[in-house]
This record gives sequence, C-alpha cells and structure tokens, in this order.
Amino acid sequence: MGMKKKQQSQKIILIAVLTLIAVVYIYPVFLMFMNSFKPFGEIVMDPIAWPKAPTFENITYVVKKIKYGKLFLNNVLITVIGIAGIVIFSSLAAYILDRRRTKYTAFVHTLIITPMLIPFQTIMITLLKAMNVIHLDNSRVGLGIQYWGFGIPMATFIFFNFMKTIPKEIDESAHIDGASTMRTFISVIFPLLKSVTVTVIVLDVMWIWNDFLLPLLMVNSSDKTKTLVLASYTFVGQMNTKWQFAMASMSLTVLPSIIIFIFLQKYIVEGVVAGAVKG
Amino acid sequence: MTNSSRRKRKEQLENVLYTLPAIILVTVMMYIPFLMSGYYSLTQWNGIAKDPQFIGLANFISIFSGKSNFLNSLGFTVRYTIGFVIFSNVLALALAVALVKKFKLANVYRGMFFIPYIMSMTIVGFIWKFIFTQGFAKLYELVGAEALNWSWLGDPKLAFYSVISVGVWQGLGFYIVLYIAGLQAIPKDVLEAATVDGATASQKFFRVTLPLLGPSMTTCIFMSLTNGLKVFDIILALTKGGPGTATYSTTMQIYQEAFTNNNYGLGSAQAIIYFLVVLIITQVVLKVMSRKEVDL
Repeated sequence: MGMKKKQQSQKIILIAVLTLIAVVYIYPVFLMFMNSFKPFGEIVMDPIAWPKAPTFENITYVVKKIKYGKLFLNNVLITVIGIAGIVIFSSLAAYILDRRRTKYTAFVHTLIITPMLIPFQTIMITLLKAMNVIHLDNSRVGLGIQYWGFGIPMATFIFFNFMKTIPKEIDESAHIDGASTMRTFISVIFPLLKSVTVTVIVLDVMWIWNDFLLPLLMVNSSDKTKTLVLASYTFVGQMNTKWQFAMASMSLTVLPSIIIFIFLQKYIVEGVVAGAVKG
Repeated sequence: MTNSSRRKRKEQLENVLYTLPAIILVTVMMYIPFLMSGYYSLTQWNGIAKDPQFIGLANFISIFSGKSNFLNSLGFTVRYTIGFVIFSNVLALALAVALVKKFKLANVYRGMFFIPYIMSMTIVGFIWKFIFTQGFAKLYELVGAEALNWSWLGDPKLAFYSVISVGVWQGLGFYIVLYIAGLQAIPKDVLEAATVDGATASQKFFRVTLPLLGPSMTTCIFMSLTNGLKVFDIILALTKGGPGTATYSTTMQIYQEAFTNNNYGLGSAQAIIYFLVVLIITQVVLKVMSRKEVDL
C-alpha cells in the first residue's frame, strides 16, 4: 500500500516537472504566434506578454504583401511534384532492383543510393550552372523536378529494404496468372508498399515544404516563383527587422504544418521513426 | 530464338526501363554537378567570365596554407557537431525515459517536443534571434538575472553556445521519438527480472535499459552526427556566421565563398574537401559504433 502511494506521488511530481519543461520548451513557438497580433511598438516594448489589443493588421498586411495564397500554392505545387516523382521512380526502381538480382541491378543499386553520401553544399555551386543549362532554374516545376534527383537515393534505399520483406511467391503467382511486370507492380506490389510509402511521403514533405537553400538558389529571383519560407526571409534584415511582419509571415508559414501535425501526429511520428531506423 | 532467351531479353529490357528514370535523375542532379565541382576546384572562376582558368591545385594550396577562413570553419563545424551530438542525445534520452511512461496526455506532451522539428530551420533561427535580442532584454528587466543581459549573439563564445542550443531545440523531438521507440522495444520481463533481483532504479537504467538501447543509440548518434556536420540554415538565420567569423560553419563558408565573394573555383575546392571530411568522419564513426554494438 505504502509502496503504491509512493509510486503515485512520484508520478505526479514527474508529470509536474515534465509539464513545466514542455511549456517552456514550446513557448518560443507560442511567442511567434502571439507577436503576430501586436503592433511594432508593442513587440519592442513588451515582446513576451499577451497582446494588449490583438490586431489582425500584420496578418492582413503580410497576406497581401507576399501574396500568401499564391505562395502557398507554389509550396503545394513544388511539394506535390517532388513527392510524386520521388515515390513513382524510387518504388519502380526498388521493385526491379530487388526482384531481378543480376550484375546490372547490383551495379545500378549502388549507383542510385551512393549519392546519399554527397552533402548538398558540395554540389550547390555547380548545380546552379547545370540547372541553368537544362532550364530547370527559376521555375517551380523545375524545382519540383530537381527534388526527384535529391530524394531518389534515400527513397530507393527505403523502398528496397522493404521490398526484400515481401515474399516473392506473391508476384510469381500474379505472373503465372498472366499479369505483365507493370501490371503486377501496379495492382499487387505497390499496394503492399503502403506503409513504407507513407514513410517516404512524411519524410519528403517535411523536407521539401521547409527547405530553404535549394529554393533560395533556384526560385528566389522572382516573387512569382518564391516559396513561403523565402518570403519570411524578406522581412528579417541585418539591422532593422520589421518584427511584426516577420512574426506574422512566419506564423502563416508554420501554421499549416502544425495543423497537419495535430491531425496526423501518429502517422508522422511513425513515419519519421521508420525512416530513421531503415535509412 | 528459343522462348526462354526471348523472355530473358525482355527482362533485361525491363530492368533498364524501370531503373532508367532514377539513373538519369540522380546522374543529372548529383553526379554531374559533383564531377563539375571536381573540375572547378582546379580553376579560378568568378562565375561571370566565360571560361574558368585552369590553375591546378592552387586553390587547395591556398586553403591549406590558411589564407581563407576555411580551416577555421572546419574547426567550428567539428566543435558544433560534438556539442550537438552530446546535448541532443543526453537530453533526448532523459526526456524519452520520462515520456515513455503511461499517463494521460502523454501523446500531447510528445507532440509538443516534436513541433519545432516540423518547422523550417530558417524560421526557428529567426524566432530565436528575436528571443535573444528582444525577449531576453525584457526578461532581464523583469527578473534581473545577469545572464539575460549577456550578449548571446554578439559575444563569440556565447554565440557558439546559442547556436548549439537552438540547433538542439529544433531537432530534439526527432531524437526523443527514436529513443521512445527504442525504450518501448525493451522486453518488460527483463526489467521485471531485474526488479525481482533487487536492482535499484538507477542500476536498472544503466545496467539493463542502456545496453539494450544500443541500436537506437547508434541510429540517434549517427543521425545527429550527419545533421550536425550539415548545419547551415539555423546559423544563416541566427548569426550569419558572426560575430566576426565565430560561428562560421563550413557549409556557410562554401556558400559565402561562392555566392558573396564570387570565388566559384575556390568555393568548389572547399566543397570537395568538405565532402571528403564528412565522408571520413561518418564512415569512421559508423565502423566504431557497429563494432561496439556487437560487443554488447
């Protein structure tokens, strides 16, 4: 009885401490949202308090100034193009690389996954020139296509490791029934890859949606092609930052991610864990 | 032609067709720029002049003679990575041990620690720039603790710790969920057996839990190592490498050399050295850790 009581009170103390840590931990995010509703003077005078008279002026100004709706669609377009290509080309490659073990596939396997070792900064200078030659720079679609090349090594690696766990008898029986290789892939294999596809999508959406350096190099020159993260960057200067607009713009960029996370927390966390363990 | 050899031909054709898109994309986006970097590293080129001028190993010689800031930036990156790996893993493990317990709202708490990880690192950098410059000043007014009045981004030594703290804050949630997954995979009966044998809580943690966490720890240390070596966005947003060159990471150095100083050749040479350094460090650590894991 006494033991149980002691355990109970220990748990309460633990949760109390944890609550304190969690609140302090998340406070900076809260601070960003809160300051989006303050005029500049109040942000500078009292950056940490609740807004005296919350105003939507910063938000409406930023929405108009950066054309939020358009940039949001830019983000969606780039992310959707990027993800679609990565998932399709990586899963197709992984399917063949696992099922047909020949000298050719062994070589191609190494060829496709080795670039995981190349840090982006090693190639960024010359990438700019290469993309200029094939006209994939200064374009949202072009940027989406570039993500294919950067996402395929890791995605193929994850798909390949999962393909190994799918019994060969499954596609062999489809073959005997007369299904072609493509038919087998579309109606038998790809549905079985569902869980690992979710992993790839979660990892790559988080990466592409929030990416900064590649969009900075490729689509920053025109307001038409910018992404949300790039737009937030314009309000923060070296000397004088318009914090009221910066905060509003950052909040508007982060909000969609947080809303999606709240609804899909389970899948996102599972995807991230699976990706790290397999990747 | 026999039936089987025709089928073999068809299969070979399929092998090529199904892998061709991936091969082309990886070649165009990664291998070609990589080879170009190798070539440009041997040239002097400002990006504007039509033809890069071949100068042999002059860029590498100038880097290793210490004329540019590159070696300093490499030193910073290594120190940053060590700090980042240690703090991320210790804090994540401690929080994971608390968060793995079953209680109401446990998922909400886990989510709170994960949210910075789903945010853009650039935005995280700006939020903290605001807190260090504006927030701390106000807190100092209210609380009066001297540390709040220090120049957290303006003093070279403090700026180093500020950059690490923000980096850890952003990524911690990721390592927490990995450690939670590892803790959940530890069989309950092993811990119960230890309790029956009279082990104290700390004995159970250090003698049973920690050794069984080996694979999770390997993953987390390796991931934090590669993420630490790649640090860029947070520093660009938070300090731009300053004060002076105190928080210049290698990635930042390459970026500035190429796009601010317009030394594309020298920047490419730095990029190649950076690639080799990252490759060697990660492979060595991987080897050492996989050997350790077997010993457990």
